[in-house]
Amino acid sequence: MKVSKLWLDKFFDNALPNAEALAEALTFHAFEIDGVEKVGESDSPKDWVLDVKVTPNRGHDCLSHRGIAKELSAILKIPLANDPFLDKSDLSKQTAEVTVDIHRTALCKRYIAGYIKGVAVGPSPEWLKQRLAAIGQRSINSVVDATNFVMFNTGQPLHAFDAGKLGSLSLGVRAAQDGEVMIALDKKSYTLKDSMLVITAGDVPVGIAGVKGGMPAAIDESTKDIVIESANFDGVSVRKTAAALKLRTDASTRFEQVISPELAAFGMQSVVELIQKLAGGELAGFVDAYPEPQKPMYANVTVEKVNKILGTQLTGADISDVFVRLGLPYKEQDGVFEVTVPFERLELVIAEDLVEEVARIVGYDKIPAAPLPAYGRQPEINKNFAAAEMAREELVQQGYSEVFTSVFADKGERMVLNKVDSVRPYLRDSLVPGLTEALAKNKPNKDLLGLKEIKLFEIGTVWRDGAESVMLGTVTEKQKASEKTLAPADASAYGALPLSTATRFEHFSKYPYIVRDIAMWTSSTDNEQQVQQTIQKEAGPLAVKVSLFDAFSKEGRTSLAYRIVFQSFDRTLTEAEVNQIMAKLSLILVDKGFVIR
Amino acid sequence: MGFTFAEGPLLESEWYNFDALNFPKDHPVRDMQDTFYIKDMPEHVLRTHTSNVQVRYMEEQIKKGIQPPYRAVSMGKVFRNESTDMGHEAEFFQIEALVVGTDITLANLKGTLALFFEKIFQGSVEIRFRPSFFAFTEPSVEIDMRLTGEHIPEKLRNKWMEMGGAGMVHPNVLKNAGIDPKKYQGFAFGFGIDRLAMLRWGIDDIRYMHSADLRFINQF
Repeated sequence: MKVSKLWLDKFFDNALPNAEALAEALTFHAFEIDGVEKVGESDSPKDWVLDVKVTPNRGHDCLSHRGIAKELSAILKIPLANDPFLDKSDLSKQTAEVTVDIHRTALCKRYIAGYIKGVAVGPSPEWLKQRLAAIGQRSINSVVDATNFVMFNTGQPLHAFDAGKLGSLSLGVRAAQDGEVMIALDKKSYTLKDSMLVITAGDVPVGIAGVKGGMPAAIDESTKDIVIESANFDGVSVRKTAAALKLRTDASTRFEQVISPELAAFGMQSVVELIQKLAGGELAGFVDAYPEPQKPMYANVTVEKVNKILGTQLTGADISDVFVRLGLPYKEQDGVFEVTVPFERLELVIAEDLVEEVARIVGYDKIPAAPLPAYGRQPEINKNFAAAEMAREELVQQGYSEVFTSVFADKGERMVLNKVDSVRPYLRDSLVPGLTEALAKNKPNKDLLGLKEIKLFEIGTVWRDGAESVMLGTVTEKQKASEKTLAPADASAYGALPLSTATRFEHFSKYPYIVRDIAMWTSSTDNEQQVQQTIQKEAGPLAVKVSLFDAFSKEGRTSLAYRIVFQSFDRTLTEAEVNQIMAKLSLILVDKGFVIR
Repeated sequence: MGFTFAEGPLLESEWYNFDALNFPKDHPVRDMQDTFYIKDMPEHVLRTHTSNVQVRYMEEQIKKGIQPPYRAVSMGKVFRNESTDMGHEAEFFQIEALVVGTDITLANLKGTLALFFEKIFQGSVEIRFRPSFFAFTEPSVEIDMRLTGEHIPEKLRNKWMEMGGAGMVHPNVLKNAGIDPKKYQGFAFGFGIDRLAMLRWGIDDIRYMHSADLRFINQF
């Protein structure tokens, strides 16, 4: 979620430390930060925006500036001066002009309607435009901007209807009828299904619950009276609806994380105040349909439990400090902390949840590193792994290389439903095609690799005859690819395969190479290696590999034949330039007394 | 150290890949993993992590009448439905460890990770945790590692690197495996093996791993 630094500052008496410091505080105590961006001129930025990766367990409370401000308050030990959740919300002024009927209470825990008459809709003030622009939101008009601002401020999605265009002030929340059509605020027409929830006015759909409002009751400059919705919709239902309609909105992403129905009251209170400030109007009153209010939530943890999980030696005072900073009211008795969970912190349920709160606020750097305690059991030998290791050992000794090819194939028994790239949509039923392809791919590089023959094996999973099994497949230039089931090995210990001695990966050239052979008579005093080094040196840097491929002696002389592979890292070599290098090399070798054959 | 090599299938039931690991159904938590589903096999997925082995292994032990302590390690192919580039592959390798006992702590996790990386990178290692979220651990952490010492290549020396995720096994996961979470607790960690290899040998493109190209493979 995009979070504005200036926006956060408003929750505190004094401006917060700079954006980098905030990013660091959040990174080590709350959330990953995907980036920090300046807003406005780069030499005199107006604001900084942090892209906070709110984890799914904190979607209840932290997809809002208030949530992030609260976190920073706890981490940096700076009290929150202006907390919109602190004062009890007041929805006592009621109106009989609007009615709300929730038909599906399982999917709508609360629906508050607020009725304001006589607003004057106009452009938003500069400060509001700036706040919204900083987090990538377009300003529309004062009323719509107010609902958006409060959503990004508190986390409660809100919607404003033009009461005059609603047709009826009898609002309902019901399942859509199959095939019912609604034109949404994006001017697109959506065909609904009975699994979706709609908001109705006089039984006509005026909004897709928790996802998007309808076009016909959109707010514009001519709007006089408005009905504001602050509601709580079921997360799973909203998620499925948004997915089915391919319409994910800032509202739907908040509902699908599940938010507290208590939040709706605070959202309503804030937005009514802001709208009246920006667009005037008179509050006619509220209707609050809230059949089953959220029950108080408690969670317990002991000092002992905290230390037993973390391996720390924290005291009751350390834990108290964390709870005070996080604004978690608690009672403590004999080392037991009973926390009254704030309404928005729906994820705090079990002791371990509170242990995590302690750990991250105290700081994970305070967790010591300790070795594992003594362990009496012997590890069991995994027979499949033992078989794989034995096969590896044997084949590597025979000069095979191990490859991994993809499990995705052009054909097979099992098909993947949703492959993004949609190529090779099946799960392989054999290792043979992959190995055959791998052989063909490696064959042209044989000289470069310095191999006499390409020999490959793969130990891999296939799906065949309705089962998943692990196969051992081999292929060489002489023998077609074949495979067999890797039978479990009855081993009592794993073999000791040698570890790789490689230190760094060396890049290889993408360009084709050219091969030349050179053979010469040498005297008995010449040694193969010295000759090879001479060739390597004189053939120059384009000679990437020099290897002896033939040697024989006759009448006191030894014939040595070398294969030279030429390749460049940045271009395709031409025959002509390699011929030139070879001609030069021959002259040098002759000069050194060798007889070129 | 007593770790047993444990296995599980690649084509896995949603129960072992998600539900048993405390992933709520129809929840954005499942979006974190871009999952491959299989035609005509409802409630089955290509496993998104080696963590499917956790509950399988513990269940097997309970069936044999063996209560914790447990130490298990598993590794193998895992899948994410995403487009591939230098840093991402739809199929890659993971290694995972699970330790359960009466007294296994987050401090033991830190100590074990340091040892693991010291052996892999053959150097002195510092471990740093950052808060995170995984459905199957509570608390959950991201693991950063820093290598120190003269012999460590300069590109890696003294730099914090993100390695993977870890945490204390969620009580619901133990419960789902038939273990009493009031009596036992433990930790689990998991990383991409490809990424470990890339750091260890300075490999800059994960796609080499499945290339079957001996110009790459025969270097090791």
